[in-house]
Amino acid sequence: MKIGLACPYTWDVPGGVQVHVRDLAEALLAAGHEVSVITPVDDEQTLPSYAVDAGRALPVPYNGSVARLLMGPVSAARVRRWLREHDFDVLHVHEPSAPSVSLLACMLADGPIVATFHTANPRSRFLTAAQGALQPSFEKLRARIAVSEAARRTLVEHLGADAILIPNGVAVQHFADARPLPGYDDGRPTVAFLGRIDEPRKGLDVLLAAMPALAARIDDARLLVAGPGDAAAVRARLEPQLRSRVDLLGLVSDADKPRVFASGQVYCAPNTGQESFGIVLLEAMAAGTAVVASDIDAFRRVLDDGRAGRLFDVGDPARLAATLADVLTDPAEAAGLVRRGRVVVETYDWRTIAERIVGVYQMVSGDRRVSLAST
Amino acid sequence: MTVLVVVVALVVAIATYLTWLARRLDRLAARVSDASGGLITQLVARADAAAQLAERCGLDELAVSAARTRAAYPELLAGAPLNAAVELAENALSRSLRSVEVAAAGQRFPIELHAVDSGAARVALARQFHNDAVRDQRALAGRRVVRVLHLSGRRPPPGYFEIDDALPLREEPWPRLVEGSVRGADAPGREDRPGHDGPLGHDGPLGHGDRPGLAS
Repeated sequence: MKIGLACPYTWDVPGGVQVHVRDLAEALLAAGHEVSVITPVDDEQTLPSYAVDAGRALPVPYNGSVARLLMGPVSAARVRRWLREHDFDVLHVHEPSAPSVSLLACMLADGPIVATFHTANPRSRFLTAAQGALQPSFEKLRARIAVSEAARRTLVEHLGADAILIPNGVAVQHFADARPLPGYDDGRPTVAFLGRIDEPRKGLDVLLAAMPALAARIDDARLLVAGPGDAAAVRARLEPQLRSRVDLLGLVSDADKPRVFASGQVYCAPNTGQESFGIVLLEAMAAGTAVVASDIDAFRRVLDDGRAGRLFDVGDPARLAATLADVLTDPAEAAGLVRRGRVVVETYDWRTIAERIVGVYQMVSGDRRVSLAST
Repeated sequence: MTVLVVVVALVVAIATYLTWLARRLDRLAARVSDASGGLITQLVARADAAAQLAERCGLDELAVSAARTRAAYPELLAGAPLNAAVELAENALSRSLRSVEVAAAGQRFPIELHAVDSGAARVALARQFHNDAVRDQRALAGRRVVRVLHLSGRRPPPGYFEIDDALPLREEPWPRLVEGSVRGADAPGREDRPGHDGPLGHDGPLGHGDRPGLAS
């Protein structure tokens, strides 16, 4: 199919929507579709060959933070030319409620248009106020996709429209081939942790409190901690005999993230707060690392009720230490978790997710193509 | 003179607004008609899959309800509206598809059962697309200015298509989409939920109102 993707946010500024659009575009290309992305960008050199520059976005205060948005005659002209030149089978706009390229494309195009809604914002004053103005564009949407249950609820509450739930994908390939970091390929029993180290809800303290009991059972067990935060403060709180077995790496680059997972026999997610979705667990499973995680709803769902990773009572260091020791000392158990983890990850693999999205495209496209709207 | 300019400007503005409304109505009518076409396509596919399963497994009740829905398709494909009679027939088919006999037959013919379930999931989606389009069109057509000026023309207002298309809960939903079974590798004590052996189960990670089987 010929697919046009519209991304509302600046391509070379980090953000979840941009990553989603990039991964989706690449999965669609890999599946043999023709794809073109239109997006605002600061440095045109950073654009991949399948993307088209819609202009520079302006930073505007929006929704309580600074969003970079783009609505103007120049970008409108570029979007119009992009639509005319490509003659798409389907136009897929992302986050069309943001005043940017996606909304422009929605206003200017006619025919099979699909939208994906990313944001979960239960009380968006902007959405409530803009509903009337957005309606003429939104009534062109033939299918709506939400990436999470929360995003779907936001859509239902503000726009009175339902959406299909298709989650974010995981770039499984990117994680599957990861090698351990230097110094971690010696087979020493290692637990990996990734996340902000001074954010209590990420639960590093629970994991640190479990370390003495774990060390008592496994002599050479060590903990690898990767993530931003005040490392000196964490180190100062550590009991002296633990200092030699806890490595604080600090912030790691995106490229090193898969290697962090690959460096542990076990990945531990001791989160104490509710998470909406366990994407980090999926990444660990994609890297082939056994997962031990807090028993919270999102994790239980991703871990297939504890079959694809072990769950322990939230905030309980003793249970955590026992669970970690079980997995680290029982290679068969660890291998079973890894194997079942791979099966779970398969359903979130971008290849699978992209296939489901193409299923939606096929259902809405029929024999009509995307054209320029007549007004 | 000034009065004339103001009047002309006003008339032009009103005419532009009305033209814009009429375009929106046309566009919505096209969307509704595409959506109902898509819905009919999916209904036909589901009934075909059901008929095939019924034939393979000798399920009489399913064969009857599939035949009943299929009898209406030539007219639907020729442009007849999706009316209450169609809804009744499709409802009966949905019910037959959820029967115990179908689930049992699916054990022996997983591929046929998967085709039926997949078709049912697509029907549910197509119906959502259709009813969303109808809702948008009715919202605009219900505006006072549109009604008073008959901007919708002589088009009858489209109707919602309401059927029970809840997906059957399958113990063993459909053949594995991935290699290798994870059953047997489970730790002892987890065998108390036979049949549910992987992430593709109905309450697995895809849960939450998700429509399974869409991509396959």
